[in-house]
Amino acid sequence: MRNSPLSRRQFLRFSAGVAGLAALSACAPAAAPSAGGDANGGAAASGEAVNVSLGLTWEAAFQSHQKEFDDKFMEAHPDITLEPVYNTWSDHNNVVPTWAAADTLPDIIYVHGSRAFPWAFEGITIPLQSYIDTDTEFNVEDVWAEALNLYNFKGEQHGIPYDHGPNLLGYNKDMFDAAGIAYPDETWTMDTLRETALQLTDAAGEVPKWGWSAEMPGLSNQDGVSSLGPWGAELLNTDENTLLLDTDAALESTQYWTDLILVDKSAPTPAESQAFEQGPWIAGQVGMAVVPSWETPSLASFSTFAWDVAPWPEGPVARATGSFGSGFSMTKNTQHPDQDWAYLREYLSKEGMEFMWGSSGRGSPARKSAYDSWMNSDTVPEHVHYYLDALDTYAITGRPYQTLAAAELNDIITRSVTLLKSGEIDVASALAAIMEEGAPVLTAAYERLNS
Amino acid sequence: MVLTISALIRRRPLTLHQREQVDFYIAILPWLLGLILFTGGPVLASLIFSVTNWTGMNLAEVKWVGLENFRTLLFDDGLFWIATVNTFYYSFGAVTLGTMGALFVAILLNQNLPGTTLLRVIYYLPSITSGVAISILWIWLFNPQVGLVNYLLSVVGIKGPLWLGSQDWVKPALILKSTWGIGANMIIILAGLQGVPVSLYEAAKIDGANWWHEFRHVTLPMLSPVLFFVVVISVINSLQILTDVLVMTQGGPGTASFVYVYYIYQAAFQYLKMGYASALAWILFAIILALTLLQLWGSKRWVYYEGGEH
Repeated sequence: MRNSPLSRRQFLRFSAGVAGLAALSACAPAAAPSAGGDANGGAAASGEAVNVSLGLTWEAAFQSHQKEFDDKFMEAHPDITLEPVYNTWSDHNNVVPTWAAADTLPDIIYVHGSRAFPWAFEGITIPLQSYIDTDTEFNVEDVWAEALNLYNFKGEQHGIPYDHGPNLLGYNKDMFDAAGIAYPDETWTMDTLRETALQLTDAAGEVPKWGWSAEMPGLSNQDGVSSLGPWGAELLNTDENTLLLDTDAALESTQYWTDLILVDKSAPTPAESQAFEQGPWIAGQVGMAVVPSWETPSLASFSTFAWDVAPWPEGPVARATGSFGSGFSMTKNTQHPDQDWAYLREYLSKEGMEFMWGSSGRGSPARKSAYDSWMNSDTVPEHVHYYLDALDTYAITGRPYQTLAAAELNDIITRSVTLLKSGEIDVASALAAIMEEGAPVLTAAYERLNS
Repeated sequence: MVLTISALIRRRPLTLHQREQVDFYIAILPWLLGLILFTGGPVLASLIFSVTNWTGMNLAEVKWVGLENFRTLLFDDGLFWIATVNTFYYSFGAVTLGTMGALFVAILLNQNLPGTTLLRVIYYLPSITSGVAISILWIWLFNPQVGLVNYLLSVVGIKGPLWLGSQDWVKPALILKSTWGIGANMIIILAGLQGVPVSLYEAAKIDGANWWHEFRHVTLPMLSPVLFFVVVISVINSLQILTDVLVMTQGGPGTASFVYVYYIYQAAFQYLKMGYASALAWILFAIILALTLLQLWGSKRWVYYEGGEH
């Protein structure tokens, strides 16, 4: 028999080459999954049965609640069939761009506040303004203006928020009681927080305890306002093309939060925090922490201690805290926007928000009129009204929210802040590094936005 | 025409070699089609995207930017160089430790002792377990407060470092973690070891060789083609480290573990710079290709083929 056998060397070379190609194929982007969108094509005629696909992020436990709402909606609208597609919350921001690239976006998608602006710019989401303007029953004025801002692109709403809430000061009542210290209240300043954190700290004990949970300094999104705002500092200018971290106020505020960790040692270092799967606050080993409204369900479910919230302490210049939230948008791939709006207007109505997020305790609704339902739910703390007070008086939505560089800037900030909290660099170096690395990124994004 | 071919086939039946060739191509056709359609297509597309400003969204708004992405990467992007240096650091450590570890374990498991089959299975199992699950496991092993690694160090009086929380120790930690997957290479080396003729060891013994001489002058030369294969593949794989970084460190602390493919992932899916990410991917391809060719060239100096080169 004639053949041409490979030598061992040739075989190994060939195998190495083939395996190398296969390994290199990992560089190729993954295929986009089907979103289960309507394949009928074209705008559905009035009365014609259509499928409306939803790209959601609820965990399994909350999906039954979504189904309950959807079933009621479909009963009332027999011509519309809802088809939810669930991503994990952490995957969703990566999955949506792949859907968009493949033109397989669901009709309606969940949009985190940080993605609202870039996704509108890229054309993933489409304007809802004409529906909002003509649907007088929808009453968009009832939605917090700060929440709407996140989804506003060039003067048009590209999404409607469903939840919105501020950062407040959460505290472990058990630790305060054990130390004989009065609970935080409206009179607290940043100095009070620092003194109390020291009093609550016993890091050398058999079960270490700290006064403060060390989330700060957090410079972006809602944490940026809570961290910098009380000292009168800001992360970005209004056009979001210049970082403002080279001010004395930015330095002073960042130094304050860093000193809690590294000088006072009344907050755990990042290494110490790693010992807790859900963090030292949930574990009950921290006296005070940042507690945004959307974290209250987790606290109610997992904490083993009594807790409550208080106003964000007043700083040397102002009382200021950040607020943030998420919403829903129609996508460029929808073939029947009228049916999408029929769903959104009910889903994000007062009654819809009360059912989905308010009375379920899932989170603070983005409508003022629906806030009571959340404040009367089972998962909220005793002084839940402080959330409403903050939204009414001193909470503002944190930046960046209107730059295309938001995700990149957040990463730049995180890199330096992590080193800062670990004591590997000082405050001045951290802020300078963010300025140096962030400036060209912001400039490029601004030029692209206006090109 | 069909008749002509049929007649030809009738007149000239395929030889055994030809039938084997036909069978061979039929057998590899599914894989070949998959390679061309699902790998070759995206690879070609990424080459095109690398000279555009595509965000990964709207193809209608793609603009040709020529070599601008490559110029920016090489001359204006500090992160590119940080990622490249970190990746080479990791690759060197992971390949060196991984290959030596796999060789060591393979030699141990090549002994004719009771229980070696079970041990081979045990050593191989980690290499087929989920990457994410193992990464999460190692986060806890490296935990500076309650992790097993620092506990073991404390038993012998050493205060362990912060590992994943330290700029100095995060890359060594990732390298150490990479040894978890030596099972695959161990199996390949073990197969190579079992292919070394016993007569060579017997001849060496007659010549007065001790274990080191046998290892140095028999085992290593006979294993060198296998080791070469293992090193080439390990280098390619290690240069593409992603899962561990994504799950364990997210490139931190700071940029201490910011590696190349993590940058590609961030650029493509977080920053919506698909064109830029494609340029990054092609530079990585060029680096891997160059390193592989360099290794092929260098192999002439140390790889021994028993039958000579055909």
